[in-house]
Amino acid sequence: MVTVADPATSTIPRRSLLARLCRDHEQLVIGGGTLVAFLLAWEAFGESGLVDPLFISSPTRVAQAGFALLHDRDFWNDLGVSGREFILGYGAAVALAVPLGLAIGLSRRLQYMLSPFVDTLNAVPRVTLLPLIILWLGIGIWSKVVVVFLGAVIPIMINTQSGVKTSEARFIRVARSFSASRFKIFSSIVLPGTVPFIFTGLKYGAGRALLGVVVGELYAATAGIGHMIAEAGNTFQTDVVFFGVLIFMATGLVVVALLDRLEQRFEKWRPNAR
Amino acid sequence: MRAERNMRAERSCYLLHERAILGAAMVILFLLAWEGLERGWWADLLHPLLGAAAERFKLKPIFVSSPTLVAQAAFRMFFVTGEIWRDLGWSAIGYVLGLVLAIAVGIPLGLAAGWYRRFSYAVAPFLSALNATPQVAFLPLIVVWIGTGLGARILVIFLLAVLPIAINAHAAVRTIDPRLVKVAASFGASDWRLFRTVILPGSLPLVLAGLRLAVGRGMIGVVVGEIYGSASGIGAMINQAGARFQTDKVFVGVLTIVAVGVILAEVVQRIERRVEIWRPPA
Repeated sequence: MVTVADPATSTIPRRSLLARLCRDHEQLVIGGGTLVAFLLAWEAFGESGLVDPLFISSPTRVAQAGFALLHDRDFWNDLGVSGREFILGYGAAVALAVPLGLAIGLSRRLQYMLSPFVDTLNAVPRVTLLPLIILWLGIGIWSKVVVVFLGAVIPIMINTQSGVKTSEARFIRVARSFSASRFKIFSSIVLPGTVPFIFTGLKYGAGRALLGVVVGELYAATAGIGHMIAEAGNTFQTDVVFFGVLIFMATGLVVVALLDRLEQRFEKWRPNAR
Repeated sequence: MRAERNMRAERSCYLLHERAILGAAMVILFLLAWEGLERGWWADLLHPLLGAAAERFKLKPIFVSSPTLVAQAAFRMFFVTGEIWRDLGWSAIGYVLGLVLAIAVGIPLGLAAGWYRRFSYAVAPFLSALNATPQVAFLPLIVVWIGTGLGARILVIFLLAVLPIAINAHAAVRTIDPRLVKVAASFGASDWRLFRTVILPGSLPLVLAGLRLAVGRGMIGVVVGEIYGSASGIGAMINQAGARFQTDKVFVGVLTIVAVGVILAEVVQRIERRVEIWRPPA
């Protein structure tokens, strides 16, 4: 595999440069190529007349619909409503679940007291409670905030708790032998060890929170991107539906990427992480 | 501290069952508090303190129902009218078919992506994009394509369940000890043999972990697929009961799903343990 630089061949022909580029960025080339091929096939299929574009739309139609929506005040209102639901519900879930998860992990008794409820809620998709929550809070924004909250709070709490439980026992024993206080043990051993678990929970929770936004708005809402998708589906505006799905997809990717970035920041201290 | 130590003998019985006792106590407290909301115990109790405002702590049964009402409704639905069995059966058909389809597609796809690097480059963008999307957002599209029948529900369940299976199968092949593969290959094992004796057993734990996730995701698919425009099934039952303010029936449906979820999780865990028996303890 080692190539010896020969002065005679140092002027690389263009084709081999291209080949080398392909080889070095194989992942990008193949991944991007498949994606482009998929979009082209979709476009061709959608415009060929074999299938009614009403059903599958096409990338250009989706782009056009998206562009048109950008000038639509209702769309920005929908986006704002969905964003608020997500941020309020997810924020509340993080604010409650991380401290509570830590407390449950630290205190055996608290775990015994709360685990029946946590386990029960964990066994059921929380969106099942949607009809009840709508009954209690109406179809406004708050019912969705609660669904989002319920969806996100359980995975974050369970992951945080299991992170505390799996703290390295040896480290704690060492710290104890050096008579570290309980707070010191918590802040310098348990908490840093739990961070990766918390982030796993946060990523899971973000997915569940988005799911809550979508389902809550599909089910009963007067505004929001999910509501927009549902309305567009009912009126066979497939392009608008696809654009809405794309927004959710982008949101999911961005949130996970942000959390990854944040996690790296917290994990910098760790020696030879991988 | 010392007094506590002296009491240890008496308390050992309590300590042995601490988990059950504390857990049960909290559950009973919760149920009593709930029952009290509906029967107005709290209103009566707080009346001397708050006066007329205490009436706010008495809620209508259509709003909160109560444990006894839920139990009655459950008894009626399971054993008297038996109406819930039809819904359960209907949901189960969609769930099983969707999950089987997800397994049939997800495991080969994931294993292939794990084994063939170039194939994984090709499918990775789609998998990660789909994984980041709440897949239920496709529901209105699916309804446009194939209506609201059984097919739509199977497709939703499939979409939700296939990703964790495929992604875990992919990761499973990637994390197999390369030395094992090398040894097998140097002894001239055929691809099929390598797959059967190294790859498959080595990737099974992660694949099963993916299956455990998929089982839960599939339940989301059942519920969402049914509350969004389906006429039968347990999710549809919950939806209709909610719309008619039959709160007790809603709770029966939710608790039934809890029970099914717990049972399914237990089944998958059993399978996992069974499969892991040959493995030396880590």
